[in-house]
Amino acid sequence: MVYEALDFYDLDSQLTDEEIMVRDMVRGWVDAEVLPKIEKACSEGVFPDEWRVALGEMGVLGAPLEGYGCPGLSYVAYGVICRELERGDSGLRSFASVQGSLAMYPIWDFGSEEQKQKYLPGMASGDLIGCFGLTEPDYGSNPGDMITKAEDKGDHFLLNGAKMWITNGTISDLAVVWAKLDGVIRGFIVETGDEGYSAPEMTGKYSLKASVTSELVFQDCKIPKDRILPGVKGLKGPFSCLNNARFGISWGALGAAQACFSSAKEYSLSRIQFDHPIASYQLVQNKLAWMLREITKGQLLAFELGRKKDNGSWIPEHISLAKMNNVDIALEIAREARDIHGANGILDEYCIMRHMANLESVKTYEGTHDIHNLILGRHITGIQSFTRSL
Amino acid sequence: MEITIIAETQGDNLHPVTSQLVGAATSLGASPTVLCAGGAGADAAAGIAGVGKVLSVVGDCFSTFDGGAWAAAFDAAAGTGIIIGAASAQGRDVVARIAARRSIPVVQDVVAISQGLTMTHPIYSGKAMQEVTVGGDCAVTLRSNTFPPAGDGGSAESATVQQSGDVKIAVQEAIAKASARLDVSDADIIISGGRGMGSPDNFEHLYALSDKLGAAVGASRAAVDTWDEIPHSMQVGQTGKTVNPSLYIAVGISGAIQHLAGMRTSKYIVAINKDPEAPIFKVADYGIVSTWEEALPILGDEIAKIL
Amino acid sequence: MVEIAVLLKQVPDTNAKIVVVNGRVDESAIASWVTSPYDEYAFEAALQHTEAAGGSITAITLGPARADKVLKDAAALGVTKLVRIWQDDWQDLDSNQVQSALANAVTAAGADLVYCGKQSADRNQGSTGPGIAEILGAACITEVSESDSAGSYLRPTASGSERVTVSSPAVVTFTKTQNELRRPNVRGIMMAKRAQIEVVGGDVSASQVNFNGHSSPAQKPPGKTYEGSDSVPEVVGLLRDEAKVL
Repeated sequence: MVYEALDFYDLDSQLTDEEIMVRDMVRGWVDAEVLPKIEKACSEGVFPDEWRVALGEMGVLGAPLEGYGCPGLSYVAYGVICRELERGDSGLRSFASVQGSLAMYPIWDFGSEEQKQKYLPGMASGDLIGCFGLTEPDYGSNPGDMITKAEDKGDHFLLNGAKMWITNGTISDLAVVWAKLDGVIRGFIVETGDEGYSAPEMTGKYSLKASVTSELVFQDCKIPKDRILPGVKGLKGPFSCLNNARFGISWGALGAAQACFSSAKEYSLSRIQFDHPIASYQLVQNKLAWMLREITKGQLLAFELGRKKDNGSWIPEHISLAKMNNVDIALEIAREARDIHGANGILDEYCIMRHMANLESVKTYEGTHDIHNLILGRHITGIQSFTRSL
Repeated sequence: MEITIIAETQGDNLHPVTSQLVGAATSLGASPTVLCAGGAGADAAAGIAGVGKVLSVVGDCFSTFDGGAWAAAFDAAAGTGIIIGAASAQGRDVVARIAARRSIPVVQDVVAISQGLTMTHPIYSGKAMQEVTVGGDCAVTLRSNTFPPAGDGGSAESATVQQSGDVKIAVQEAIAKASARLDVSDADIIISGGRGMGSPDNFEHLYALSDKLGAAVGASRAAVDTWDEIPHSMQVGQTGKTVNPSLYIAVGISGAIQHLAGMRTSKYIVAINKDPEAPIFKVADYGIVSTWEEALPILGDEIAKIL
Repeated sequence: MVEIAVLLKQVPDTNAKIVVVNGRVDESAIASWVTSPYDEYAFEAALQHTEAAGGSITAITLGPARADKVLKDAAALGVTKLVRIWQDDWQDLDSNQVQSALANAVTAAGADLVYCGKQSADRNQGSTGPGIAEILGAACITEVSESDSAGSYLRPTASGSERVTVSSPAVVTFTKTQNELRRPNVRGIMMAKRAQIEVVGGDVSASQVNFNGHSSPAQKPPGKTYEGSDSVPEVVGLLRDEAKVL
């Protein structure tokens, strides 16, 4: 089946020639190398290593970063890459998001010159995989109260604590870990093989099955002094990473939604019930029209946000709105698409159930749906509602 | 109207499409001259009704196929007017070069031709047709099995001319037809089997037929999932390959919607299934309600007759 | 060292629906334009040939400004010499005009070899390769499915295939090969951004062909179902005479 990307307002015509070439490159790769293999990867619960190699060869990792072997593309181009990757699978896009926005970005923005030169070229080429350790078993939406701590032992730092829900953890060569040093959140680079560091894989997921999710465990983990990120202190560090990752998600979710829409449209036109294609029935058309409506609105949000990222006029709340809305509608679209596919919608013949299950995670990670609402609530009223004295 | 036909040959014999070229030429009111490369098929050509004259073009160049050399020889032997050849790989090559030599236009793969000279040929792989008119001399190739052949019983005069051209292509090695199976993504004809084939061994019948047709063999997901011998690379459908051949023959395939998704855009679909209610018949252009055990042998024989 | 001119034609995506409006294929309904698939195999063969033997590639197309895309795609894979031929009436050029315009560009490029697809995915004619060869006084090998940098090519014959060699100048038209088509990467795409496309006039004589119009192909008859294997001969007859697929 040929993928017809829904683009009702012809927004892709606003892309530059280079952005279109990047889009076609990623889309062609997803068609040729991801879609034929994704169901097997999911059933085996692996992220195929050849995808890491291919992402590096295409040169899309750390897309909007410049220098140190990074591509230096626009944020719009980064969004388009995420959209096309997530049309394949959210797990694939997650790999790229974590590598680029959560691991490469903090080194690029807050790292020392030596750190940048040591890690970024290899990460851009896919030779080194990075992960991002912020969330802990007991601290998800509230990372400020994290327990993981670092101690200055004179000639080294000593890390103790645990991180959870860490994409790429087990397959990573390095982790950007956020820990409290003298009560202040700081970023540290931990390398695989560092004493006292392990990254066991979390199993049993029904979602993001083609993505590796891990715990990071630090038990008197000893790292050299030059592994601290010198350029940032406090939650601003992890939050600036998350802003970039959430931006990518706001585009990526549309890719999953467009895949579901495309499948639902095709299916409804070919499925005959009561002698006619089900696409000819008003209830189905209503669903398809609703999907088109929500995808188009989501695309307008994503494009405008991309322009704001590129011209610097964005605020974090803009990203919250787009992440929250686009994941929300993508999940609903997956559910409606499942409905249109009838029983066939639960089969791995179609992408529907896989996207739906993936999007349940995407709705929660990188700032839950509700937390983004609270961020907007604070923006509107000036009153934060995350915490209170009870 | 002067028409010269470049005979299509098969080794030393005349290819049957040559009669169709003559049929088209005579329908335009011409009594065409037929040029035979190296004299191949000249006697048979003289026996086609309506042929004015047969010219055996004899020269060193005809031992190897080199479109440039052949075109030079034919160009020297042919009169002015309209040049007609078959829309085969060699025919297209030679006729295009004769046209270029003469600075006259060439129209290939024509499926309808009438006085004037107005011609129709498919474009976009048959998704549309284009009609053109050429007032003066031109060169044309005709699609095979499109024009009614001229009958037998002709007795045209035959002559031989010596003409050759510079051969620039050297054959290093001839390679017999490879037995490697065509991939369903590349094939213009696909024969697919489903679980109705009963066992993977029975796919041999499909392979035998595919060899006759130059076709690829495909399979439904049910067949691929049931039998290890049928690899996923053969699977046509939603999670297999999407194919778009000219002819798709579904044997023992019921037609689950997932299978239809991969093959419904085939130009022509033939379904063989013993269950008259099988959904595959809804998309088939020609459905045959029969067991494959009965239908396939007859299908093989009939196809052998016409190829 | 070898200089290869590759002819790349921009065509509607081969999956695109072709709609005829007022006697002409409606190009505005075509959402996606691509390099004609056989031309892509020719291009890949040229890339491999120049990588192995040294030399360079000139990518040549004929068409309106949108056809720059096929040249940019070639630039993203490292081609630096890009030529687009532009004629106001480019859609209605006859075979002679197309061939002489392309042959002029090939000559200007100083190419020893011309690689192109065996036919374009839109007009499906297959005249361009042999025609250009004739104008250039070159040999032409058609429907090649395998090539190497030593200048040997595999072409089909009635009984299988044969490996042939040819002295340059020569034109080689390609069918699908076993080569995997390479994808560009971001670095290549950024290079393509800076690539310069030379736009030249076709400089050709008048057309000798009158274009009358396009039409949709005849509708297929509705499907028919036959009872029993006795019907097989009839169906085979219909496949040959009605469907014309045998």
